[in-house]
Amino acid sequence: MPKYKDMVQPVRATDEEMRHIHIDPVPDDEKCEKALQYLDEMRKKFRSFVLAMESCVKCGACAENCHTYLGTKDPNNIPTNRAELIRKIYKRYFTLEGRWFGKLVGAEDISLDIIEQWYSYFYQCSECRRCARACPFGIDTCEVTFVGRQILHWLGIVPKLHAHVGAAMERVGNHTNLPKPGIVDTLEFLSEEIMDEFGVEVPFPVDQPAEIMYIPSSADFLLNPYTLMGAGMFFTYIGASWTIPSTVTEAGNFGLLFDQMFTQRHNVTRLLDAAQKLGVKKIVWGECGHGWRAAKMYIPTLADRPVRWPITHLHDEIAYYIRTNQLKLDPAKNPKPVTLHDPCNYARACDLIENLRTVIRASVVDFREMTPNREWTFCCGGGSGILFDDPEMYQRRIQLSAKKAELVRATGVGANGDGILCAPCSICKAQLYPMVEEHKLGVEVKGLVDLLGRALVWK
Amino acid sequence: MSYFILQILPYVTMVVFTFGLLYRLGRWAGARIVHDITLSPFPQSNTQVLGIFGAELIFFRSLFSSDRALWVGAWLMHMALFAVIGGHLTGIYFLGKQFIYIGTSENLSEQLSALLGTTMGLIMFAGLLYLFYRRFAVAKVREVSTLSDYLHLVLLLSIVTVGNIMRLWEHDLGITYAPVKDYVTHLVMLMPLPMTHEVFTRPFFVLHLLFVQILLMIFPFSKLMHVFGMFAERWIINRVYKEPAPGLPNVDVQAARRAGLGLPSSEGGV
Repeated sequence: MPKYKDMVQPVRATDEEMRHIHIDPVPDDEKCEKALQYLDEMRKKFRSFVLAMESCVKCGACAENCHTYLGTKDPNNIPTNRAELIRKIYKRYFTLEGRWFGKLVGAEDISLDIIEQWYSYFYQCSECRRCARACPFGIDTCEVTFVGRQILHWLGIVPKLHAHVGAAMERVGNHTNLPKPGIVDTLEFLSEEIMDEFGVEVPFPVDQPAEIMYIPSSADFLLNPYTLMGAGMFFTYIGASWTIPSTVTEAGNFGLLFDQMFTQRHNVTRLLDAAQKLGVKKIVWGECGHGWRAAKMYIPTLADRPVRWPITHLHDEIAYYIRTNQLKLDPAKNPKPVTLHDPCNYARACDLIENLRTVIRASVVDFREMTPNREWTFCCGGGSGILFDDPEMYQRRIQLSAKKAELVRATGVGANGDGILCAPCSICKAQLYPMVEEHKLGVEVKGLVDLLGRALVWK
Repeated sequence: MSYFILQILPYVTMVVFTFGLLYRLGRWAGARIVHDITLSPFPQSNTQVLGIFGAELIFFRSLFSSDRALWVGAWLMHMALFAVIGGHLTGIYFLGKQFIYIGTSENLSEQLSALLGTTMGLIMFAGLLYLFYRRFAVAKVREVSTLSDYLHLVLLLSIVTVGNIMRLWEHDLGITYAPVKDYVTHLVMLMPLPMTHEVFTRPFFVLHLLFVQILLMIFPFSKLMHVFGMFAERWIINRVYKEPAPGLPNVDVQAARRAGLGLPSSEGGV
C-alpha cells in the first residue's frame, strides 16, 4: 500500500478503523462525485481556501521556501503545485475560465487517480505555513492542505496513524491509549525520578480541585519524561495549585490535522468539560506545537459556548516569572551548547517566539540561534503528524528533515558530539529523536521546560 | 474595424470587467473567515496592520525576504506599471503639462512627461521580459507554469511593446495627447466621434487599445485578480491579536520559596 503509481502514501486506516472515528468510507464508484460535493461545500465556507484557489500568480517564490520540496525535489511538493492538485479540479468545476478554456488554464476532470494524488501529497505537507510567510500575497497553502485532508477524511481516506490517534483520544483522552491507572502510575514514577535525580519532592496531582489545569502532551508520559518532570518542578517551585485532568491528558488535537469539524470540536468539548468539572481558573498548555495552535487559535471558534478560562502556554507563564525575577535559575546546570528549533506552529501561528528565548537564555550557558529562525523557521519535517514508520514513508521523513539537519549542523552545537537541540514540541521531538541519528548531528533532542527544570535553584 | 475597437468594444469591455469583478469579489465575500489564522508575529494595533499592508504593497517585503531574484524583476515591473498608469491619467488629462504645478515651464513639463513615460515604459518592458525569461529558464518556475501563465505575459508584453513604439517613434507612429483626451472625453460622455477623427488613423493606437481591452476582459477570470486577492488574503492573515495576561492565579513565589516547597521534609520543607 505505501506506494500507488510511484507515489508514496502512508498506510491507510481500514474501513473498520474509519468507523471508529465515525466515518463510513465512500465506495470507489462514488468517490469522485462525493469529492466534488465536499469540495463545493468547502469552497463556499472557507475564504482562505477560495483565495488560494483564485489569486495565485504562480511566481514560484514558495518553492524553495518549502522544506518538503527542498528535501524531495518532487515538483508536486512545490506549495503552489500541491495546491494545484485541488486547484485544477476547482477550476474545472467551479470557475468559468476552467469550464470554457479547461486546457489553457490547467483545469482537469476529477478521477480516482487525482484523489490518490491528494492522499500522497497532502500527507507530505506538514502545514508549517512557511509558504504563507514567503508568499507576496500571503496565500496560506496550509489551508489547502486542511481542505484536502478534510475531503479525504470524509471519503474514508486517513492514515492509520491519524485514525488511531483520533480513536484513542475519544476512548481515553490521549493519543497513546494510556488509561487513568497508567497515568497515575507513570506520574508517581516521575515523582520518584525527580527525587532521585534532583532531590526535590514534586507531586503530580490528578483530578484534584485546583486553580490551574495543566494539559501535558501524552508523549511526555512515555517519550519525553523530562518535559513532564520539568513542568511539575516549575509548578511546585512557584507553589501553584495545579492539576492534570485524567480525562484530557493530551495537549495535541489531531482534529486540526485531519478533521477540523467533528474530531477537533469533540476534543475541544472534552477539554472545556474537564475545566468546568474541576472548577479551575486558568488552563496552561504543555509543549505541543499543533496542539497549542489548535488551543490558542481554534478554541474560540470551536467552543460553541462562552469560554471562561484564559488559556496560556507554559512558556508564556515561565517567561513571565523570569522577566519579573521570581525564579532563581542557575544556567551552569546546563553547560552544553544548545540551539533552539522554533516549532512552526509556535513561530508562525501562535506568536510564541520571544518567550521561548527568555526561558532558554535564563536556563543555559551557551545558547546559539539557528539561521533562519523565528517566523522564518524551517519545519522539522514531521509537522502535522506525518510521523509514519513504514519503510517508504520513513525514508521520506529523512528527506523532509534534511533542511533542518543542515541548519542544526550550521550552528556548530553538535561539533563535539555533546550538543543539545531544544525542540519544545512533541511532534518535533518524535521526528527529531530518530532524525538527529540519521543525519549524524551529534546532538541530543530535549524539550525546553526540561532545561528549565534542571536549572531551578531550590534553596 | 478601428471604429468598432475604439467606439463599441470599450462599452462591452467595461460591462464584462465590472460585472466580472463584482461576481468574483462577491464569491470571495460569500465565503467566511472561519478561524483565526493570523500569521505571527501578531500585530498589536491597527496601525501595525496598516504598516504590514504598506510594506507589502510598496516594497513587496515578504517577497524581498523569500525570493530576492524574483523581487528585483517583480518590484521594478510593478513600480513602472504604477507609474505608467499614473502617467496615462495625468498626461492625458493635463496634456503633458502636469509638471507646471511643481514649477516647470509648459515646454519642460511636456519634455519631462515624455521622458518619464519612455523610461517607465522601457523599465516595465525589461521587467516583463525578465519574468518571461524566468518562466522558461528557472526549473521551479517552469514546473509551476501552465499555458495561461505564458499567455498573460505575452499579452502584457504586447501592450507595452506597442506603447513603447508609439513613444519612441512618436511623430511617425505615435499620437499626441490632445486627440486622445478628446477621444476619452467623448467616450465617457457617451458621445460618438466623427469617423474622420485622428484616433482612427493611428493603427498603433488602435492596437494598443485592443490589447488593453482584451486584458481588462480576462482580468476578472484570471490570476490578474491577485491585485485584489492580496488585500483580501492579508485581511485574513494580518490581524490584531491581543495575548491574555500572564501570571497564574493565587501564586506567590516568594512565599512558596520561604516555605521551602519541594524540599524534602527532613530539610525543613513542608
